[in-house]
Amino acid sequence: MKPYDVTLRRPDMTIQWHSENQVGRLTLNQPPSNTMTMGFFRELRILVTEISMDHTLKAILISGSGRHYSSGADITELLNNVNQQTMLENYQAMLMLEQLKIPLISAIRGACLGSAFELALFSHFRICAEEAVLGLPESTFNLMPGLGGIQRVAALAGRAKAVEIILRGNTFTGREALESGLVDAVVPKNEVLPCSLAFADALPQTLTGIDRKALLYKYFKPSHATIS
Amino acid sequence: MTKLNTVTFEVIDCIGIIRLNTPPANELAVPEFISPALFQQWTATQTLKGLIIMGEGKNFSTGGNLETIFKNSSNPETLMTMMQDGHALLNTIYNLDIPVIAAINRVCFGGGLEIALACHIRVASENALLAFPESNQNLMPGMGGTFRLPALTGVSEAARIILSGDIVNATDAKALGIIDHVAPKDQAFEFAWQLMQKMTRDRPVKVIRSVMRSLKNSFELSQDQAITEEIRLFCELAQDEAIRRNTEET
Repeated sequence: MKPYDVTLRRPDMTIQWHSENQVGRLTLNQPPSNTMTMGFFRELRILVTEISMDHTLKAILISGSGRHYSSGADITELLNNVNQQTMLENYQAMLMLEQLKIPLISAIRGACLGSAFELALFSHFRICAEEAVLGLPESTFNLMPGLGGIQRVAALAGRAKAVEIILRGNTFTGREALESGLVDAVVPKNEVLPCSLAFADALPQTLTGIDRKALLYKYFKPSHATIS
Repeated sequence: MTKLNTVTFEVIDCIGIIRLNTPPANELAVPEFISPALFQQWTATQTLKGLIIMGEGKNFSTGGNLETIFKNSSNPETLMTMMQDGHALLNTIYNLDIPVIAAINRVCFGGGLEIALACHIRVASENALLAFPESNQNLMPGMGGTFRLPALTGVSEAARIILSGDIVNATDAKALGIIDHVAPKDQAFEFAWQLMQKMTRDRPVKVIRSVMRSLKNSFELSQDQAITEEIRLFCELAQDEAIRRNTEET
């Protein structure tokens, strides 16, 4: 299947999109840190609408171009453009991805911070490098997570852990995220993409009634996944 | 320092410290171990950034006074009101919009454990001992323990702990999810203080309260309502920060 040309329709090209063997590949593409600028969110909103109409896809894999998933939003740009309506639209774009009937997988290497970690939290599966650096550092900039990260961390890791990591704003490794239930599996960083692709390929096309643990168990060592 | 017979309160660097102050047992004379008016007065200060609850001396608390319970059991209405008041106080603690840490050294039983479970984060020393011994007296935990414990451990472990009355050590309590951090021997407060500093020092009060409010919303509101409120709070903080940065530049 031929990847379609994104350059014509998304001149900023902060997101690459193509599909291979019915698996959609959404790549954050502003290396090195794949910053989620306002332009990125604009593209994401358009792209998500298009993806939602593509019924040939059986899964979507989100990853970052280069060494990192993404370092999150551009704080200066964000502070100069505070707008509840835009924030809500950005949230809704991510929610729309989550609510597609097909599995959404985030393949996380390097930095995955702030809004980027929130994007990953909208995925149904997070496959993560052991040494990846994750976190919600917003409070260290006198802000707070604003795209549903608070709710999702609380649901996955419990209230105590959520209070601590959101107020501290400290980063943690993929291994630590696994122990808190914030990612589903950890692998060596070179295996993140191949493992995630193989996993995406093998997933059933519907999420209804799936046994997450059984699926993870097939692909990852028990010590490397939220199985036990 | 506000000094009362049974509980003391002081504020150090914007962190409130509540001490159960009837050592060595720090037994709770009544379930409502602080009067609502006093608690309200202590926590109303808008500059307060966090709260640590601990026991004076070696232990956290051995829990409620069974004599009080049995003495009042002939009058069910009095006992009921007493329990409801205690329960309401713990809910008030749980719903505070500043982080609350329980610093648990050594014994933390019954009502003491229920206070700890109403806090947002539990730090226990490696020599801490936790238990719900109520069933040994043909009673049960009566201030939220029966629903706050299973929320952390799952129903089966909570049933085992509550029905057996067995003592759980710090290592097991951590593995079960009852406590969040294990501190060195008798160092729960020191550990809790450091953790509180990491969470609140350099953070504007408004950031702390907005995060805590959003967390509470995530458990109490629908997803739509919670996100609308989260975005509103975020934009308020962002506007404050934009103004602060602009003022700094000029």
